[in-house]
Amino acid sequence: MLEVRDVHKHFGGLQALAGVSFTLQEGELVGLIGPNGAGKTTLTNVITGLLKPTKGQVWFGGERIDGLAPYEIAMRGLGRTFQVTRAFRRMRVLENMLVPALAIHGRGHIKSLRRKALEVLEFLTIDHLAKEFARSLSGGQQKLLELGRLLMLDPKLLILDEPFAGVHPKLREAIYRFIFQVNEEGKAFIVISHDMDSIFTLSRRIIVLNCGQVIADGDPLSVKEDPLVIEAYLGEEKNEPGSTRAEEASFA
Amino acid sequence: MKGRAVQLAVIMFIVLFLGLLPFALGGQPYYLEVMTSAFFYAVLTSSWSFLAGLAGQFSFGHMAFAGLGAYTSGLLCRYLGVSPLYGILAAIVVTTLFGFGVGILCLRLRGAYLALFTIALSEILRIIVLTEHQFTEGNRGLLLPPLYSGITHVGQYYVTLVLLLVILGLLWWLARSRFGIFLRAIREDEEAAAALGVNTVRYKVSVFVLTSVIAGLAGAIFYHLVGIVTPEIMQLLQMSLIIAFAVIGGLESPIAAAFGAILCRILLETLRGFTIFGVHIELGVWRYAVFGLLLVLTLRFAQNGLFYPIIDYLFMRPARREAVAKRKQEVEDVRG
Repeated sequence: MLEVRDVHKHFGGLQALAGVSFTLQEGELVGLIGPNGAGKTTLTNVITGLLKPTKGQVWFGGERIDGLAPYEIAMRGLGRTFQVTRAFRRMRVLENMLVPALAIHGRGHIKSLRRKALEVLEFLTIDHLAKEFARSLSGGQQKLLELGRLLMLDPKLLILDEPFAGVHPKLREAIYRFIFQVNEEGKAFIVISHDMDSIFTLSRRIIVLNCGQVIADGDPLSVKEDPLVIEAYLGEEKNEPGSTRAEEASFA
Repeated sequence: MKGRAVQLAVIMFIVLFLGLLPFALGGQPYYLEVMTSAFFYAVLTSSWSFLAGLAGQFSFGHMAFAGLGAYTSGLLCRYLGVSPLYGILAAIVVTTLFGFGVGILCLRLRGAYLALFTIALSEILRIIVLTEHQFTEGNRGLLLPPLYSGITHVGQYYVTLVLLLVILGLLWWLARSRFGIFLRAIREDEEAAAALGVNTVRYKVSVFVLTSVIAGLAGAIFYHLVGIVTPEIMQLLQMSLIIAFAVIGGLESPIAAAFGAILCRILLETLRGFTIFGVHIELGVWRYAVFGLLLVLTLRFAQNGLFYPIIDYLFMRPARREAVAKRKQEVEDVRG
């Protein structure tokens, strides 16, 4: 479904990605982790067309997509959320939901799209906020709105960048439920997160990036025990005085 | 249903009021000219508000497009002897092409960079008109034939009023359409809009073309009514007036912005000289200081403008009230 082939990305003298390669099958749920500056968000931006790779190729659904505009990639069924929530703050929640739906289906289906948007909002437990401005939502609710908006795009692959950051535990459950349920419907996920508990609970496969390279790719257990991962990322976290108890526990 | 009836009644009242105003004014040329000019500025302000307030493209070149439309039509009438109608059609074509070009050039420009670029563009056009005075008549002004022979002040009033109503209707419809939703999404976050399937390039260029054409059309029609156009129209001061009108009316709503322009034009004319408690006051150029004060007070105490809250109250709040009532009912149902 998705194939990333030897992707490099340079910003002047800084090498953000140095030959990243991996493939993703339909319906897979993959966690993408790595320390700060590992290249996770850059990789997401390259895959979704916000950045052009310096070298390498990205294929999606049997078609080469690097070089396409972001909207063309989105229309092919590859959707994403952003690390910092980017709801359209001065638009109402329902209007936020309609943006991707109208982009795909056009104005002719407005009534059915509205209905679908309300159903998705209900599923995310924020349907009562449909008429509110997005700016009046809490951070967690804005995360849910972003997920709902993504679902309106009807993507085959969803890339979620830090979906659990700054989210209340109750809303976190709603996000879990969203990911599991949508994944069961056959949609693939790449979930990027620093929240190790969540990533290791959710994912059946984990890719670890460090210094712009894939240093591990496998099931959660093998990744946990990979010495390269422990040294480059997990070990570093464990040794940090400020590392969380939860993170330490997950690698014990 | 009740809310919709009130909305329709308000619209009908305003249209009827403006439609009958020339009779109430006794057909006096001065007042009719003021209103004609107010409608012209209202068209320009509403279209600029659509571009800047709705789409987030802060262009300072809007008056340059109005001038471009006026000069295109005027020069064609003068040198090729075409009728004003064909001149206006040519103005539409030229401003379309020019708007498309500027839209493409401005794609990667935002905020202050876009503003500076469009200021430079306006100045280039103004200087071209000034330096090519053997063709354009420079500061003396280019004479334009009337829109049609025998047009009266009342006729001019209705031409600009119809133009304003048509443009406001179009902008209102577009703002609520898919086009309007996409423009607002681009204004809020261009990258996020693109990631959700919006062709941001197409919509940004389209809104430039649309608003340029409206400005060019308004410029061409208005200066055929006035009979003369000078490069002054492209000055930054004129553009500042448009921005101030939009801010006073309500930047995010083309209709509120249009009301702001009408109010300000009338205010600026009234402040020239007026009698209060038997004392006649002539403010002259000082009227701009009073106008500036109004702008400052609006920015300080009514960031949404003077008219936007009224429009919001009459046309948007009823839908929200309905939603809130529905939610309350749902909560009560669950509790009960």
